[in-house]
Amino acid sequence: MAILEVSELRSRYSSRGPEILKGISFEVEEDDFFAIIGPSGAGKSTLIRCINRLIEPTSGSINLHGIDVLSLNATELRKMRRHIGMIFQEFNLIDRMSVMDNVLSGRLGYVGAIRSIFRTFNNHDIQRALELLERVGLQDHVDKRADQLSGGQRQRVGIARALMQEPNLLLLDEPTSALDPKISREVMQLIRTIATELKVPVLCNIHDVQLAKEFCNKIIGLQDGIKMFDGPTPSLDQSSLDEIYSMEVL
Amino acid sequence: MQTSSVPLTVDDIVRLRRKKQTVQFGFYFILFILVLWSIQATVIDDTDWERIGSLADIGKSVSHFIGIDFALIPNLLGPTIETFMIACIGTILGLIICLPAMWFGALNVTPYKPITYPLARIAMTLSRSIHEIVWALIFVSAVGLGAFAGILAIAVRSLGFIAKMSAEAIENIDPKPVEAIRAMGGSNLQVMLYGIMPQVLPVILGIVIFEWEINIRRSAILGLVGAGGLGLVFFRQMNTFNYPGVTTVILAIFGLIVVGEITSHYSRKALN
Amino acid sequence: MANKTGEHNLPVHSSVGGDGVHREWSRFKFPRSLINYGILLGILLFFSYSVYYLNIPLERIMGMFGRLGDLMADRYFPPDMDYIVDLGYLDAIIETIQMAYLGSLFGLLISIVLGWFAAHNVSPSPKYIYPIARLLTMGCRSVHEMIWAILFVTILGFGLLPGVLALTMFSIGFSGKLFAEEIESIQMGQVEAIRAMGGNHLQVFVYGVFPQVRVAFTGIAIYTWDVAFRAATVVGFVGAGGMGWYLKRNVMQIETERVAAILISIVGLVVISEFVSAWARIRVSKAK
Repeated sequence: MAILEVSELRSRYSSRGPEILKGISFEVEEDDFFAIIGPSGAGKSTLIRCINRLIEPTSGSINLHGIDVLSLNATELRKMRRHIGMIFQEFNLIDRMSVMDNVLSGRLGYVGAIRSIFRTFNNHDIQRALELLERVGLQDHVDKRADQLSGGQRQRVGIARALMQEPNLLLLDEPTSALDPKISREVMQLIRTIATELKVPVLCNIHDVQLAKEFCNKIIGLQDGIKMFDGPTPSLDQSSLDEIYSMEVL
Repeated sequence: MQTSSVPLTVDDIVRLRRKKQTVQFGFYFILFILVLWSIQATVIDDTDWERIGSLADIGKSVSHFIGIDFALIPNLLGPTIETFMIACIGTILGLIICLPAMWFGALNVTPYKPITYPLARIAMTLSRSIHEIVWALIFVSAVGLGAFAGILAIAVRSLGFIAKMSAEAIENIDPKPVEAIRAMGGSNLQVMLYGIMPQVLPVILGIVIFEWEINIRRSAILGLVGAGGLGLVFFRQMNTFNYPGVTTVILAIFGLIVVGEITSHYSRKALN
Repeated sequence: MANKTGEHNLPVHSSVGGDGVHREWSRFKFPRSLINYGILLGILLFFSYSVYYLNIPLERIMGMFGRLGDLMADRYFPPDMDYIVDLGYLDAIIETIQMAYLGSLFGLLISIVLGWFAAHNVSPSPKYIYPIARLLTMGCRSVHEMIWAILFVTILGFGLLPGVLALTMFSIGFSGKLFAEEIESIQMGQVEAIRAMGGNHLQVFVYGVFPQVRVAFTGIAIYTWDVAFRAATVVGFVGAGGMGWYLKRNVMQIETERVAAILISIVGLVVISEFVSAWARIRVSKAK
């Protein structure tokens, strides 16, 4: 059963600007680790931000668990978003807050105004945050400030924060581009293990084809806003890669 | 003549240099004439040289100020504390009335750009362009003589600088944490609290401390228009021609400012 | 399925958060949080005590804004605009501009030298001249321009000259520190080069330092003029000439509608000067 159905998605930055996405359709299923590959500027980032409407698509439809995402109003959208975890290229942590507060901030969608002012989270959330931090191997850094950690550690905080949301979809926007190859593999491994364990489908936007082949079961390839490839990982061969990356050679 | 297509000859270079020099010379010449005119108007025409007298006379008037009035020192403690407190409360009040101004005045968070943004900018300009003495005059006539008028004057005068610098800090934030909070379903308030505030709070505190240091200087003179503190004592010494007393008050102000500068230096260091 | 409202029909994955192990964590950290709360409490206490000490009528604050509005409407409105287009007053405006111009010019000339002496990296004598220059700039800075004006008026009598001198002192204080900071942040390589070829202190300054800070100095100078003009509008209040003198006179005679007109003229001129200075600074930084 498809968890996420995207069809004919189009997007442009401004009403007269060039079209970034030119009608993209695909489906993500329950146990997918889904990769979007393609050269830079192909629209990967825009596509993933359209799913939770950080960027508003101009037309098309997005269906998540049978809910039409594009028809939601602002309040409904916020309720929707708290079930979609997102992990970012440059971690997007709150640098001056502690690791613990960063992870707890994943609960913000569930917390009211007064509680967010005084940062009072209930005991269940605190227990959950500590467990997640242990799970990603940061139990010794709970009270450090986020900007005192290394890149890999910071991305682990990002993972814990996203899982704090109890997501039923994880969006990954180039989660490893700011990390070195060894750490990249560790981080991807961690995400895959946890995602499998929690049965959360993952939609991942990734530059590194090698990593995509290694960790993802399905791949779509974008080039200049057009889908050039769609299929399970084993079917991705050199000729389809050449096609996806043909622009980059020029 | 087409200087772009034809290579420059030595003559052209010389001509260009001459032209540039002439313009420069003209500019400095005008500045110089302005200086002469100003000197003529202010220093020569307007000054009553008879009243000033010879250099020796000036020396004599200056020498009145040498010395310290020790009898005055015990009476200075109260006004010094008062001045200090006026500066502190004025700065805090300034920060409070500043919050809407910096919110409206930062392009990336202003609620409704065509109205709120210019409104905040006007408030900032007004606050900065009117001198604290004038603000104090206005508030003295509104709430009467005393420290309260001084506090209000300082608060309003601080608004401009704090709001302007803070709005700039808000405009220059890193948008990445903001995106993260939005992506997880955070409300506008939560974006403000978790995405923006942690980034700008240290900057704003630094600005406030800097302004506080200036406000000590300002609150020391507000007594001139009846807003209490050391300025009042200063004025009283002046009116009774107690010149050593005047020097003593100035030294007290100086001391207070040194204390403020040291505090400000260390607290700003602690912020980083 | 046309369910729009999200949350209920979504499956929730919560298998993390249920391993039953209890973990200890508290936002309160023993010595550090206590110290922080202590400092916060101390500051709060100080403020409440200050409010008490200064006899601030808290209950009147709410009513104040209404009263301020009434006051403006009753007494300060309409501003007596005829008064400020009067020839005598226009003369005072020109005098104010001249005062600000001369004061900042003298101040800037002095503070170029003082800034040089007060910059630790190129000061001719870091041991003796540096602290003296520092003290002088700080002294000029910490005494408010109004106090300078009063002092000069006492010594020299009423007129524009004490105003010019007061603004000179003010400009020294304002620009001296900025100049010194600017010089302290230069690249020392060029200075070393001049030193290495046997240049004396003056040569080091003229060839090694000045070319590096010329643009920044020009910017600071324009800014100083702008700020000095703002101060010049009020130094007359204590008898140092210019528009401030008119302000003082009308305040004393409770000619509130004229005061309003004068305030409008001051704000207008300051806004103009701010625009001019912003424009000039942009031009200078572009010209390099």
